[in-house]
Amino acid sequence: MPDLENEIRNLIAEIIEKEPGEISSDAKFFGDLGVDSMMALEIMAAIEKKYKIAIPEEKLTQLTTLRETVAVAEEFLKSRGQNV
Amino acid sequence: MFNIEEIQKVLPQRYPFLMIDRVVELEPGKKITAIKNVSINEGFFEGHFPGKPILPGVLIIEAMAQASIILFYAQKEPSVDKKMIYYLGSTKVKFLHPVFPGDQLKIVVEAVKILSTAAIVSATAFVQDKEVARGEIGFSAKEEV
Repeated sequence: MPDLENEIRNLIAEIIEKEPGEISSDAKFFGDLGVDSMMALEIMAAIEKKYKIAIPEEKLTQLTTLRETVAVAEEFLKSRGQNV
Repeated sequence: MFNIEEIQKVLPQRYPFLMIDRVVELEPGKKITAIKNVSINEGFFEGHFPGKPILPGVLIIEAMAQASIILFYAQKEPSVDKKMIYYLGSTKVKFLHPVFPGDQLKIVVEAVKILSTAAIVSATAFVQDKEVARGEIGFSAKEEV
């Protein structure tokens, strides 16, 4: 879902103060993009707010790249029973 | 709801850095309302500012952060009673009106996302019913070693 990926890319870009273009699908948040654990939590909270979903705490460690983050968001959007 | 003795069981901060006097409302995991009375006797007014005392904005953030700690603590398992240290991770706060000696600061904090070791909350400070500051705070908690 390219639209979802782009939306989440823009949302992450704002939180980590990078240009969206710097956030490729597989750039590593911690190694490549300088994301720390507080930013990861902010990303999680921002996705929950935007898509009105609840992501459980244990999923936080899966938020390592844009691709993985989109996959987690999709999983919970699906379980909410809505199309995006 | 929480008097000062109970607050001191939860908050590690002490004089001159205890910025919550009373908790008036607490919904664990959701929301807390707490009070900080602002008195001219506080030492920092001597320098902030000479002849024109104004509560430093950073101390409003500190009061918000301390109320957030109580909110965070309240939703933990009662058996978890280890000493914690709290680290402020991020703040985004707007100051809307100055706060003066004699004012009573009412801090309302609502959970945005609370995990077992970190939280993001939104906080608003009022004097009477006027909003004086609002923003978002992120912090983490670690067990004291």
